[in-house]
Amino acid sequence: MEAIKNALDFSDSPRLDRTVALLVLALFLVFPLFPHSAFAMATMIQFFMFALYGMGWNTIGGYGGQVDLGKAQYVGIGAYTTMVLLTRWDIPFWLSMPVGAALAVTWSFIIGYPLFKLKGHYFAIATIATSLVLKDLFEVWKFVGASRGLGVSPTKYSPPDFVRLIFREDVYYYYVILCFFVAGVLYMNWFRKSRLGFQLRSIKDNEDVARSLGINVHWAKIKTYAIATAFVSIVGSFHAVYIKNIEPEDTMSLDISILIALMAMLGGAGSLWGPIIGAGVLIPLKSYLKEWLGAKAGLVGIDLVLYGLIIMIISAFEPRGLWGIVEKTRRRKRI
Amino acid sequence: MDILLGSLVSGLLLGMVLALVALGLTIIFGMMDIVNFAHGEFLMLGMYTGLLTSQATGLDPLFTLPVAALVGFLLGVLCYAGFVKYLLRGPMIAQLLGTFGLMLFLRNMALMLFGANDRSLQTGILVGKSFDIGSGIIVSATKLAVAVLAVLSFVAIWLLMNRTRFGKALTATALNRQGARYMGIPTERMNALAWGIGGGSVTVAGALIVNFWAVNPYVGLTFTMIAFTVVALGGFGSVPGAFFAGLVVGLITEIPGFWDFFAITFDIDWMSEVPMTSFKYMWIYVAYFVIMVVRPRGLFGWKQ
Repeated sequence: MEAIKNALDFSDSPRLDRTVALLVLALFLVFPLFPHSAFAMATMIQFFMFALYGMGWNTIGGYGGQVDLGKAQYVGIGAYTTMVLLTRWDIPFWLSMPVGAALAVTWSFIIGYPLFKLKGHYFAIATIATSLVLKDLFEVWKFVGASRGLGVSPTKYSPPDFVRLIFREDVYYYYVILCFFVAGVLYMNWFRKSRLGFQLRSIKDNEDVARSLGINVHWAKIKTYAIATAFVSIVGSFHAVYIKNIEPEDTMSLDISILIALMAMLGGAGSLWGPIIGAGVLIPLKSYLKEWLGAKAGLVGIDLVLYGLIIMIISAFEPRGLWGIVEKTRRRKRI
Repeated sequence: MDILLGSLVSGLLLGMVLALVALGLTIIFGMMDIVNFAHGEFLMLGMYTGLLTSQATGLDPLFTLPVAALVGFLLGVLCYAGFVKYLLRGPMIAQLLGTFGLMLFLRNMALMLFGANDRSLQTGILVGKSFDIGSGIIVSATKLAVAVLAVLSFVAIWLLMNRTRFGKALTATALNRQGARYMGIPTERMNALAWGIGGGSVTVAGALIVNFWAVNPYVGLTFTMIAFTVVALGGFGSVPGAFFAGLVVGLITEIPGFWDFFAITFDIDWMSEVPMTSFKYMWIYVAYFVIMVVRPRGLFGWKQ
C-alpha cells in the first residue's frame, strides 16, 4: 500500500510540472479520436516504446551513472521469447511476457556480476560486446529463424485478440502501450524515492563514499541493472507482437542500444521526465526525417547525417539534456 | 596439418594488419583515455582515400599512403579541435554518444558521396599477387607488405613516444593532464596532435587494407570493435602491447580454421556441423569481455 501511495505521490515536483504532465496525459488519451495518419499513429507507438526503453535505461544509466550500451540484447530476449512461444506453442502474450522478462533478468544477473567489476567506458564497451555476442548467436541459431528471424501472420488468429495481443488496427496497440507507459512512469516515480534509488544516486556521486556508508555497491548496481532489463524486455515482448516480424538486425543491433541511451541523455539522464521528453523529441524527428528525406533518390543517408549531427551537437554543448536547460532557467529565475 | 599451418600464418598476418588498425586507437583511447567510436570510420575514409587517389591519378595504390596519412592527420586534428574538445568538458557519456554521432555522420556522408556498393582495387603492384612458401601455404603479397609496414609503423610510433621530447610530453599529458599543464606543456595541442597521429596512422592502415579488402561505407564498426579489443588486450597505453595483442586477435579470427583442423584431423562429427565461420567476429567480442574482467590491465598495460 505504502508503495502505491508513493508511486502516485508527485508532490515534490513543482505544480507547473504536474499540470503539464496531466495535460499531456489527457492529450495522449484522446489522440486517437482526432483524425490522424497511420504514420503519425505508428510514430506515437514508437514514442511510447522508446520512452519506456529510456526509462528503463534511466534507472541504471541516469540515476546510477553506469553507461550501459547493451540494452538491445534484452529487447531481443523479450521479443524472441514472446515470438517463439507464440509461433511454436501458441502461448499468449500475457504469459510469455513474464517468461521473457524472467529469462532476460536471469541473463542480466549472469553477465551483470562480471560486468560491474568494470568502470567508466570500459564498462560501456563491455556491454556493447555482450550485446553483439548475443546478436551473432541469434543470427545463426536455426531454432529462432537465424538471420531471417521469425514472423507471425495476423490472419491465423481472429483479431482483435486481447490474450495474444494480435490486432489489426494500431489503435488497440496504442492504448495497450499507453497503459504500460503510465505504469512505467508510476514505477519510476516510486523508484526514484525508494531506498535503492537513493543508494544509486550516492553511488553515482562517489562510489567510495557510498561504500563507506555501508552500501553494497556491486549488488545495488546488479539489482538496478536487472530492473532496467525487465523494463526493456517487457517492451521488447510488445515489439514482437506489434511489429509481428522480428530479426536480429532490428531488435538487437548496436543502433538500438545507442538510441535507448540517447533518448535518456537528450531528455536529461537521472530525471523523471527526461527519457519521455527525449523520446518525444527524437522519435518524431527521426521518423519524419526519414519520411521526408530518406526516400528521396540520390540523398540516401542524409537523414542519418542530420541525425548524427544532432547527436554530436547535443553531446558537445548540452550533455545534461533538455531537462538540464529547464532546471537551469528555473534556478536562474528563483535567484 | 596444412590447414593448421595455413590458419596460423594467415592469422598472424591478419593480426599485424589489425595491430596497425588499432595503433591509432592505442594513442587516442589507450593513452589519452578518450573513447572514439568513429575509429573504424576513419579507417573507411582511409580506404576510400587510397582507392580514389590511385584511381584518379593512376598511381600505384602503394604510393597513395602519404596522401592518406595527410588526410587522416587533418581529419584527426579537425575532429579534435572542432568537436571532441567540447565533449571532454561534459560527462563521460557525452564522449560515448558524441563519437557515436561522429561515426554516424562520417558513415552516412560516405554513403551519400560514394554510394553503398562494394568497391575494390583491380590493379596495382601487389594486388592479386601471392606466393607459395611451401606445403601449400599461400601468402598474398599485399598482406605481407602490410605486415612489414605495420612493424615499421609500430617501431616509428614507439620511438616517437619513448625517445623524443614530444612523446614524453604526450605521455605526461596522458598520465596527468593538470600536472602536465603546470609543467608548461600545451595539453590542448598535445591532445590535438594525438588525434592527428591516431587519425593518420589509421588512414594509412586503411589505404593498405584496400589492397585486399573491398570497401563500402559500412566496414567501420567491425574494425572499431576489433581495435577496442586489441587495445584492451594489449594494455591501455602500451604500444608494444598493442602489437602483440594484434597478433593474438588475428589468431582469434582464425578460430574457424583451427576448428576445422580439429574436426577433420580427429574426425569429430559434431564439430564439423557447427557453422564456425559465422562466429568469426563473435570470439573477438568474447575476448574483449573476458580480458576486461579477468585482467583489466591487459598484457603490457601501465594504466589502470
